[in-house]
Amino acid sequence: MEITKTNRDGAIILSVAGRIDTATAPALEQAINKEIESGNRKILLNFSAVTYISSGGLRVLLATAKKLKNPGDKYALCSLAAEVNKILKLAGFTSIFSIYPSEGDALAGW
Amino acid sequence: MPGGNAPLISLSWQPVPGAPGARIYPLIRKIDTTSSNSYLIQTDDVILLIDPGGLAEQSAQLALLIEEIREERDRPVFVFLTHAHIDHFLGTQFIPMFAYPEVAVFAVQEAGAAALECGDGKLTQADLLGQKISPVRIALHLISDVRSGYSAVPISLAFSNGATITITRGQTRGGLAEERIEFGTGPSLEVYHTPGHSPDSICLRMGGLLFIGDVLFAANPGIAGICGWDQCALIRSLDGIEVLIADGGIDFVLPGHGRVITAYDAGLMFTAIRADALALENIAELNHERAIETAAFAEDCMEQVNELFTIMAGRLYYVSYVMEELGEEDVAAEVNRLIKGDVIDELLEAFRSFADEHHKRSGVSIHLALKAGQVIFKLERSFNGAELSHIIDPALARRAARLLSDYTTMLRGFCPPRELAECDLVRHLESLVTGLSIPSCSDDDLLSSDDEDSTFTRLLLRRIGMQPLLSDVEFSFTAAEKHIVATVDQDDLTDLITYILEDLVGTGSDAITLKLNRDNKDAIITLRGTGATASDAMKKGGGFLMRLCDRTGGTLSCSTDGNGRQYSIRIGGLI
Repeated sequence: MEITKTNRDGAIILSVAGRIDTATAPALEQAINKEIESGNRKILLNFSAVTYISSGGLRVLLATAKKLKNPGDKYALCSLAAEVNKILKLAGFTSIFSIYPSEGDALAGW
Repeated sequence: MPGGNAPLISLSWQPVPGAPGARIYPLIRKIDTTSSNSYLIQTDDVILLIDPGGLAEQSAQLALLIEEIREERDRPVFVFLTHAHIDHFLGTQFIPMFAYPEVAVFAVQEAGAAALECGDGKLTQADLLGQKISPVRIALHLISDVRSGYSAVPISLAFSNGATITITRGQTRGGLAEERIEFGTGPSLEVYHTPGHSPDSICLRMGGLLFIGDVLFAANPGIAGICGWDQCALIRSLDGIEVLIADGGIDFVLPGHGRVITAYDAGLMFTAIRADALALENIAELNHERAIETAAFAEDCMEQVNELFTIMAGRLYYVSYVMEELGEEDVAAEVNRLIKGDVIDELLEAFRSFADEHHKRSGVSIHLALKAGQVIFKLERSFNGAELSHIIDPALARRAARLLSDYTTMLRGFCPPRELAECDLVRHLESLVTGLSIPSCSDDDLLSSDDEDSTFTRLLLRRIGMQPLLSDVEFSFTAAEKHIVATVDQDDLTDLITYILEDLVGTGSDAITLKLNRDNKDAIITLRGTGATASDAMKKGGGFLMRLCDRTGGTLSCSTDGNGRQYSIRIGGLI
C-alpha cells in the first residue's frame, strides 16, 4: 500500500494505492492521525487505486470519523472502485461519511 | 492409562521402552502434506528406518546418521514404509544410499510394493501431488500372500544387504494379519496389516512403541477418498488397532505426522476417527480432477466469504459507532466483541497469500484445497451466526455459514446438498424482495417497546444494524403471470438473487427492476440495475455465481451497457 499526500483548497488529500488489509491498515491510520495531530481538520481520502479493504481497514475509516466530527471538520472518501464502494455501502458506512465520485466533487461539496 | 515411560524426544537417541538394547531417534516434523515423520532404530543386529520422508534433505539427514552409526558398528539397514505414499519415501529417490539394496533393503506391504516397483503415480499419490516417481525395488514384501498359508511357521529369508531374517505369520486377537520379524537375537519387529488409508498401510511395533503411519488422518477431509482409500477396511483396521492397544504393553503411539502420543490418548482418538469414518459412506474418489475442481471452488468460496465477513464486521462496527455516538459505550463494546475481526482478517489474508504463492509457483491443487479447508475450519469457530443475527441481517451470517459448510462438504468428498422442489417463483420472489425492502424493526416497534432498557436496546440495535438492502433504491418487481411454478432449490435461488441485488446496490444502482417472465417452457428472471458502475462481480465471482445458479436449477448471463447492468437467470422445465 502506498499513500501520497497533497494539499488542495485547504484540504489534505491522502491518495491510497493498493490493499488495505491487516498488514497495511495501521500505516493508513498513522498517516491520518499524523495529519489530524498537525491540526488538519479537512481530510479527503482518495481511494481510486484501492483494490481491497478488510474489516481492519473499515475500522480505521470509522476511527477517523470519530476524530473528525467537530463543527467545521470535513472528512470524506472519493473515487472508490466498485468493489470497495460495495463493501462500504453494504456495511452501512455511507450514512456516516460522504463518498464522492471524484476529488473535484468532494471539494466542491465541502 | 499410559505407561510410566518418559515421552520420546525428537532428534535424540533414546531407549525403546520394552525392547532391551534397542534405541530410537525420532525425527518429528510439523504436520504438512510434504513429508512424514521419520523414526530410526538401531539394535545390535540391525538398523531400521521407518518412513524416510518426502524431502531429499530429510532423507539425506537420515542417511548421514545411518553412516555414522554404521561406522560405530556395521549392520544391515532396512527401510520400512508404513505405506507407499510419496510423503513417506520420495526423499530417498535423491539419496544414493537408498538406491542400492546391497546397502538398504526396502520393506513394504505387498500392495504398496507392487505400486512402487512399477512407479504407480496413483496409489503413491504422486499424480495428486504433481510429482514424478522412479520405480523402487522392494526386496521384502510384507504380509505377503505367499506366506499366508504358513501360519506360525518361521520362514528364513536372506538379503543382499547381508541380513538373514526370520518371519512368522499370524493374526492378532483383533483380527489383523501379523508378521513377526526377527533380525537376530535382539528385539523383534511386529508388522500388522491395517488397510483403509491405503491398501498397503501397516502398523509396526517394537517393544512399547507402535508406529501407525497415517491412520489418525484417514478420515480427514481431503485425505478420505484418495486412491486406494477404503472405508470398510479402515473401520476394521481401527477396531484391530484398538484391541492391540487395549491388550496392553504399548506405551506410545508414533504417527506418520505430528507429535508422539500416549497409548491412552490414541485410544480416545481412534474412537473419534472411527465415528468420522462411519459417516463417510459413498464419498467421491479424491483424484487429480477432483482436486482441481475443489481448489477452484475453494478460491471462489473464499472470495465470497471474504466479502461477507468484511460486510458483517463492517455492519457491527457501524452499529457500535452509532451506539457510541448515543453514549452507550458499554453496548458499543459488547457489539464489537461479537465478531473477531482481526482473527478473521488474518485467516483470510493467510489464504490469499497462500493462493498467490500457489499460482506463482503453479502449485498442486490439493494443497490449495486443504489450505482452504484449514482456514474455513478456523473461520467457522470465529463467529456465532445466531448471535449476529439479532443485530445484522441474518441472511449475511446464513450465507457465510452455508458457504463454509458447502466447502467442507465438498472437501470431504460429498456433493453439497441440493434440494430441488416445486416452487411458485412469483410468490418466492415477492416474499424475498419484501424482506429486503422493509426494516425488520419499524419505528412503531421501537416506540411501542416496553420500558425495560434491555428490550429497547435490543430493538435499537436491530433497527440500526438491519438496514434493508433495497431501502435506498427505487425498486420494482413485475411478474408476467400470477403463478409461475418451476423446480428449483429455493435456498440457492434466494442466495443467488440476494448476491445479485447486493452487487447492483453496492455498485451504485439508483433504480433496480426485477422481472419474471415465461419463455415457452422456461422462466426468465431479469434483474437490471440502472446507474450501476462497472463491477468485478462476474469477473471475480462469476464462477461462483454461475455455479450457484447451476445448483439453483438455472443458467446465468450478465450484460452491461451505458446505463447499467443486467443479470438474466433462465430456469427450464416449468410445471
